[in-house]
Amino acid sequence: MREIILQVEDLRTSFFTRRGEVKAVDGVSFYVREGETFGIVGESGCGKTVTGLSLLRLLPEPAGRIVGGKIILEGTNLMELSKKAMRAYRGRMISMILQDPMTSLNPVYPIGDQIAESVRLHQNLADEHMVEQEVISALRLLRIPSPEMILRQYPFQLSGGMRQRVVGAIAMSCHPRVLIADEPTTALDATIQAQYMALFKDVQQKTNVAIIFITHDFGVIANMCHRVGVMYAGKIIETAPTREIFNAPRHPYTSALINSVPRLDRKDDRLYSIEGQPPSLMNLPPGCRFAPRCTVVQEICREQEPPEVDIGNGHSVSCWKVK
Amino acid sequence: MVTNVEVKPKHQYRGLTQWGRIFRNLGMILPVAIFALLIFTAIFANFLAPFPYDETSLTERRLPPAWVEGGSTKHLLGTDTLGRDILSRAIYGARISLSVSLLAIAITASVGTVLGIISGYMGGRVDAFIMRITDIAMAFPGLLLAILIAVSLGPGFFTVIIALSILGWSGYARIIRGEALRVRNSDFVAQAQVIGVSPWRIMLRHIFPNILNILIIGITLSVGTMILAESAMSYLGIGIPPPMPSWGSMVSDGRNDLDRAWWISTFPGIAIGLVVLSGNFLGDWIRDKMDPRLRQM
Amino acid sequence: MADVLLEGRDLTKHYPVTRGFLQRTVGWVRAVDGISFTIERGKTLSLVGESGAGKTTTAKAVLLLERLTSGTILFEGKDLNLFSQAQLKAEYRPRVQAVQQNPWSSMNPRMRVRDIIGEPLVVNTKQTKSQIRSRVLELLEQVGLMSDAAERYPHEFSGGQRQRIAVARALALNPSLVVLDEPVSALDVSIRAQIMNLLKDLQAQYNLSYLVIAHNLATVRYMSHSVAIMYLGQIVEYGVAEDLFEKPLHPYTKALISASQLTLPEDDTQGAKQIILSGEMPSSLNPPEGCRFHTRCAESGESCSKVVPELRLIGQHWVRCNHYK
Repeated sequence: MREIILQVEDLRTSFFTRRGEVKAVDGVSFYVREGETFGIVGESGCGKTVTGLSLLRLLPEPAGRIVGGKIILEGTNLMELSKKAMRAYRGRMISMILQDPMTSLNPVYPIGDQIAESVRLHQNLADEHMVEQEVISALRLLRIPSPEMILRQYPFQLSGGMRQRVVGAIAMSCHPRVLIADEPTTALDATIQAQYMALFKDVQQKTNVAIIFITHDFGVIANMCHRVGVMYAGKIIETAPTREIFNAPRHPYTSALINSVPRLDRKDDRLYSIEGQPPSLMNLPPGCRFAPRCTVVQEICREQEPPEVDIGNGHSVSCWKVK
Repeated sequence: MVTNVEVKPKHQYRGLTQWGRIFRNLGMILPVAIFALLIFTAIFANFLAPFPYDETSLTERRLPPAWVEGGSTKHLLGTDTLGRDILSRAIYGARISLSVSLLAIAITASVGTVLGIISGYMGGRVDAFIMRITDIAMAFPGLLLAILIAVSLGPGFFTVIIALSILGWSGYARIIRGEALRVRNSDFVAQAQVIGVSPWRIMLRHIFPNILNILIIGITLSVGTMILAESAMSYLGIGIPPPMPSWGSMVSDGRNDLDRAWWISTFPGIAIGLVVLSGNFLGDWIRDKMDPRLRQM
Repeated sequence: MADVLLEGRDLTKHYPVTRGFLQRTVGWVRAVDGISFTIERGKTLSLVGESGAGKTTTAKAVLLLERLTSGTILFEGKDLNLFSQAQLKAEYRPRVQAVQQNPWSSMNPRMRVRDIIGEPLVVNTKQTKSQIRSRVLELLEQVGLMSDAAERYPHEFSGGQRQRIAVARALALNPSLVVLDEPVSALDVSIRAQIMNLLKDLQAQYNLSYLVIAHNLATVRYMSHSVAIMYLGQIVEYGVAEDLFEKPLHPYTKALISASQLTLPEDDTQGAKQIILSGEMPSSLNPPEGCRFHTRCAESGESCSKVVPELRLIGQHWVRCNHYK
């Protein structure tokens, strides 16, 4: 069994706005092993992006703050590190890829410089030649053709898919142990997305990096992830190996979500749709957060939040229907 | 199947510390207070000013302000070289400066906005034509033009307004054109075209309401600029003719007596500075207020 | 005989590329290069392709937001090229409306919902204010929103609700055809189903035709009767949806289907079932010689770089590929 690299325990992140406290992440726990991909799936506003940012302690201050929990990376609790120490970790031990390749790259610097910046910051290399070597090897890892030429090009000269690879190269340039990818394929075309995911699997095989893949796309989950956590309104409501999530989802939200996605391999007559909207994170209903929209809701669901129950096989659910 | 419309509830303003709130609002309170004072003074000048602005007194020339030795409470801010009360002249000067500026702003903003919207929306040759005229207007040395106008029309209240208007519209045209271009490329404008809305209606109902933000900010920032410009013209003698007091001309009046009667220039100068500063602060504050609101969507 | 509402024949749109001070034309971006299709009354045609394929340009041309370089659009059998501006405004525009992709930018943030939905009526009909008002309320109900939505502003609604407002606006003039440009891709997964179901219901109720622009194949399969797959400005496969998805012929179609499949982990044990294309879509400035797809095609053969394939009817649907004769 592979070693657990990252363990998140009861993470809580809130945004303090003029209108009140928005509990974006309200008690999230999960772990990732080395060489494994853990997917966090959910709709917009569920807190998955904030979770990713919290792991890197990259929240917009002073509004955003981690208010509780532990983030244990290879034995070190990231919450206990000073800002300076955290900066050393960021990029070297744990890294992130964001959604939009257009804005992730600085338009006025050549590609080589942008990757080199990360290398110089985290690795104590003897001279510039070695830095360039690292940059080229990062580009090669992401299968970017003609890396020596790409070094001198500017982001606008590259296509969207290529830019996303460069962003990946920057993230991987210092050989991090954990890579967080926040919807990196959403802006890409279907065939480019397929390329990209195959590439990621390859990178993971070569470097044994643990990947946390944040997405709303179940197709990507099926393709990329070994294990999945389903998020709703700031909490993970179900965690399971990917196969189980698709074949035997236990939480009503998970199964409703999977059923509302049209399938390509068959013709659906009617899609299942979930009534209503996700709750406001400032005014959470008492009890289970999904209760207002749940088709199998019971009395107790509206009163108390269900605890997380482990039903074996690495599968756990937070639902009163599951004991 | 009817879905409930969930409207965001209004929340209480809380979460910031006391000091934070005060500090944040100071940026607004002070300038607004000064502007309110200015408008109040301008409207009620007749009641507020202890003396008429042109009443001279040969015996009370160059009296210092009340708190300086030699001054009296009869003339709180002192008198000028002709014995006229500085305080009264400053109060009437507020009225003059404000009315000139507001009229000029009304003209420049209207002309500039109309031209800017047409230019930005129509594009092509219309845009090129209007922009070239704007360029020419901007390229003219302002002062020279002002002098020319003053000389040809003769000094007077309306001369100043005309001069300021001719100089000011091009700035608006340029800025509004930029905003109009941005709005023109929005999806909802394309949608309006699909619906079959005529270009004029698009400009009026779709473009104009969405450039209002910039327009308001522009107007607020203009107040200070206009007052300064009018003051400059009056200082140089091509603005409001005596005996009507303008802060600019008051500053000019006192320039020969700076060493022995500093108050003649200083108080109107402070007034100019305060109003210009307030205008800028207010404009900045409004801009900041409007930006995050836009992003709340 | 199929009841054809709109037909596109050899639609072409080339954008000039200019360079230099004098704006000399040095090349052409062949965004749309000879597209032909038919949309039947009450049915949905989807244009599928990746970015750069030309589908959005085609949609804009149908909406008269872009002027074609050449080609003909026939609306109810009549050639639009022969319509005057006034005729287009009176007879075409009200019958062909649109729902855009981005529910956040497709509505004037300064207008209330009742004005947004009512505007088509104000501009195109002579109805009185109260007539328009009751029509607006009727439309709101049709799309599943409560009547108090009318007084609110767009920013008070969620993405899915805004898209409903957009649909209400599109229906205001009782159009025959609605062009939907990626109508659900900006929405959350669970909301997409709501909107797609709504669209299908409305189609059945009003015998609406839809021209859907999409890149998500599963959405396309759910919504469409016929599908046209576009690549680099051309249609490479075209036919009845069921047929195309059950028996895809063109290698690009096969790759798209493969990329969109929900392959569960256990399916992956064989590995090579996935088709992964190499490279990216070339620029439409200089499309590849011969078959435009040959540079990325897994099944590319000798002649593919030389011979330009025509659109041919093979079985139930049309394919543009040298392997099919």
